[in-house]
Amino acid sequence: MWMLRSFVNRSVVTLAGITAPGAALAHPAQGGFVLLLPTDIYIAAGCAAVGLSVLIVALMPAGALARLFAPRALGHAPDLATARALTSLLSLALLAALLWVGFIGPRDPLSNLLPLTIWTLWWIALFTLQGVLGDLWAWINPWRGLHGLVWGDAPPPLRLPKALGCAPAIIGFVAITGFALADPAPDDPARLAAFVMGYAMFTFAGMALFGAHAWLGRAECFTLLLRLFASLAPLQTRPNLAIGLPGWAAIPDRTAEKVPLSLGVFVIVLLASGSFDGLHKTFFWLAQIGVNPLEFPGRSAVVWSTTLGLLGANVALALAFAGCIALGHLALRGPAPRLRDAIAQLALSLLPIAFAYHVAHFLTAFLVGVQYSVAAITDPLASGADLLNLGQFYVTTGFFNTQGSVRAIWLTQAGLIVAGHILGVLMAHRMATQIYGGHRRAAIAQSPLAVFMVLYTLLGLWLLAAPRGA
Amino acid sequence: MTQKLIPPSGFTRRGALKTLGLGAGALAATTAMPGFIQAQSSAPIRIGFQVHRTGIGASYGRWYDRTSQAAVKRINDAGGINGRMVELVPEDDGTDAKRGAEVIEKFATQSNCDVAFGTLFSHVVIGSAPRAGELKLPYFVVSEGHHVASGMLNRYTLQPGITDVKSQVQAMAPFVAANLGKKVCMIFPDFAFGHDHRDYFSAAFEAQGGTINAMIAIPPTETAFTKYFPQIPRDTEVIYHVMVGPAVLTFVKELGEFFGPSRPELFGFIDSLEAVDIASPGLEFLEGSYMWEGNPRYAQADQTEYDKAFRAAVGVDDNGASVSDSRDISTYAHMFGCWETLNIIKAGMEASGYQGQGDRAALIEAVEAMSAMPLGMDHPQGAKIFNGKTHQTFGHQYITRVESGKLLLAHTTSIEDTLYEDEVDYTTRSF
Repeated sequence: MWMLRSFVNRSVVTLAGITAPGAALAHPAQGGFVLLLPTDIYIAAGCAAVGLSVLIVALMPAGALARLFAPRALGHAPDLATARALTSLLSLALLAALLWVGFIGPRDPLSNLLPLTIWTLWWIALFTLQGVLGDLWAWINPWRGLHGLVWGDAPPPLRLPKALGCAPAIIGFVAITGFALADPAPDDPARLAAFVMGYAMFTFAGMALFGAHAWLGRAECFTLLLRLFASLAPLQTRPNLAIGLPGWAAIPDRTAEKVPLSLGVFVIVLLASGSFDGLHKTFFWLAQIGVNPLEFPGRSAVVWSTTLGLLGANVALALAFAGCIALGHLALRGPAPRLRDAIAQLALSLLPIAFAYHVAHFLTAFLVGVQYSVAAITDPLASGADLLNLGQFYVTTGFFNTQGSVRAIWLTQAGLIVAGHILGVLMAHRMATQIYGGHRRAAIAQSPLAVFMVLYTLLGLWLLAAPRGA
Repeated sequence: MTQKLIPPSGFTRRGALKTLGLGAGALAATTAMPGFIQAQSSAPIRIGFQVHRTGIGASYGRWYDRTSQAAVKRINDAGGINGRMVELVPEDDGTDAKRGAEVIEKFATQSNCDVAFGTLFSHVVIGSAPRAGELKLPYFVVSEGHHVASGMLNRYTLQPGITDVKSQVQAMAPFVAANLGKKVCMIFPDFAFGHDHRDYFSAAFEAQGGTINAMIAIPPTETAFTKYFPQIPRDTEVIYHVMVGPAVLTFVKELGEFFGPSRPELFGFIDSLEAVDIASPGLEFLEGSYMWEGNPRYAQADQTEYDKAFRAAVGVDDNGASVSDSRDISTYAHMFGCWETLNIIKAGMEASGYQGQGDRAALIEAVEAMSAMPLGMDHPQGAKIFNGKTHQTFGHQYITRVESGKLLLAHTTSIEDTLYEDEVDYTTRSF
């Protein structure tokens, strides 16, 4: 079984959901101010920074990168499995309460705690914290505790075929992203509650049949995704406490088993889906599908174009990425490693980009959604209650309404994306030296990927700057 | 932005006034009839609130929600409707026509609502109204669209709390012709919203003796405008602009750079800049220009006590911003429509002795019978005249001038300026 350093399958399970509806909460003025910003200059600067990082990495003395990514051991971490099982049970109880609110609580998705929790507190906030602080999901997954309570360590009745790799998680992630992007009402409380409950039961059934380890590790896309994001955190607790440059734990150990191609594809799918989420509301995309962005007819009118676009984006990015690696192999003289192994491993260098794009893309939605979440926590049934004693609480989008604050938000987003790409460049080169055996060979094999990184920076920043209409 | 559809029609003010007179007579007849006396229920009256919580209309939806919640609170604080409390049942329509129809169905068949209310965007109204008609659910829209008065909808769909774009646009022509100039160049986005302005302002303006010397249609996806400005004729006295979307600020900035200090007069619709701070960088060029506003965003020197109380109730300050964040500009030109519509629903239910869903037709008839709606706390935007035949209200329009980054009132139109001949008589259609 392959294993990244940070991945010890002790944790987790999942919820459902995806792309926050909050993206639609942005404000017309925000887009207007972004168009007034000198984004061309910012974008050029961002791409130049990533390009420069490529050069620096190529010119660094051999071994410097290895030292950069070498973690510093901090000793043994206590075994907290029992505590995690308890918090998992509490989380399950919370999920049940949220589902109840989803089914019978307020119908307004911005007053109902279920969609707010799923889309804002979980999909945006937790995913972000996961990449910064490490595997919090291991503590709050709602199923692991119950599974342990019911089945303990008993062997599962069925085996998830090894040949499948992470394919179930890929299919699951694309399907759920499709729900989030293309479904007409993914934030409707009752609809979402049914979806979450169905996915929760499906996951639990999968764990019962195939075992928690196999199902959570290869079939349950959110656990896989969250563990991958957690591997970017500087501080890791398992197997031992250690700290290092962000991403150090995501670089496969030379002694570990090969990264399966399906895991690499999963990471590519994460990035492609996130990028398509950014793309599908731009004037550019809407023009491609013949929709006037100023009179967007509603999501129900673009279900198929969105679905096909999502699938197309995934295929396109997978082919582009594989093409870059293949080109690098062509440039190499002498023996090259197996292409599929190189693709699988180097795809992990896209992780910080996918993570950074996730955080940047949803930053604006979070700024609004978190306010609605507070309002819903103080009045969970929209009955006029004020549990937090906030008094009259008005949600504001005023920070989208001044040039200074819009610039600050935009530059924060852009900075995250550039930083993600630079980390990606460093990780890719570090892995390439392992794969291709040597600094110089790595630099040659990496050159198409380096161009890819710069161009993808351009895409990510362009998506931030592009006018939106849906 | 709201898509305002205005089918062409000829009209005379005289015909419109005649209709309104009939409406007033019908009100007298209805209120004179003894209502049904049914067992008084203490259950709340449920008003299905179809709201743009997500999608392209979400920034409007937030303020429509805030205004509607405040209006319902005021109604309940005053004892509710017919002794019953009012409960708002918000459902997100995603600013999506198909979902809009589903939400209407949900109100009628699942959530036990007495009426539906609140929709802004025209395509959602047009997608939802047929379902409301089939389900016999009174559907009170707050959309500004001409689709109600044009006759394309049904007996169950009414727009009593906000004027329609046809009357708004035509009412601007006399002011522009008399005060700003006789030669107008129109710049508009090249789709239905812009075409409505193009067609109806040009007709109304030419009727005032003015000339439209150029019509510049801008593709909806355009984000750079300087290349279009050489098409503006040299003898232009007024530029009429109704650009919408994220590129509006760029449009104004580039227009300013093109003209420099000597420019023609500018006249625009606040729809371009609804919820946007007029004092924003890039908008300096609008200084001294004129805007249509459905309700003046800034508290004016002659502010009524009703406007003052309305602002306090919805939490908006004298600059039209949220009391909790001075940067958070409201959709002040439109959101009063929710407040007024809810008060009209209340008045209609009281006039008809509304007890339950069996009285829906009586409620429609009671609203159809309404005519004059005086300025007051129920109608803080101004007096209105409701036309029961066309299901559309008519009211004063405001023209403000940008001065020191604020919008100061320059002119208030008469209601007569906004009238046009009836295009439909819904009262002749059966329930």
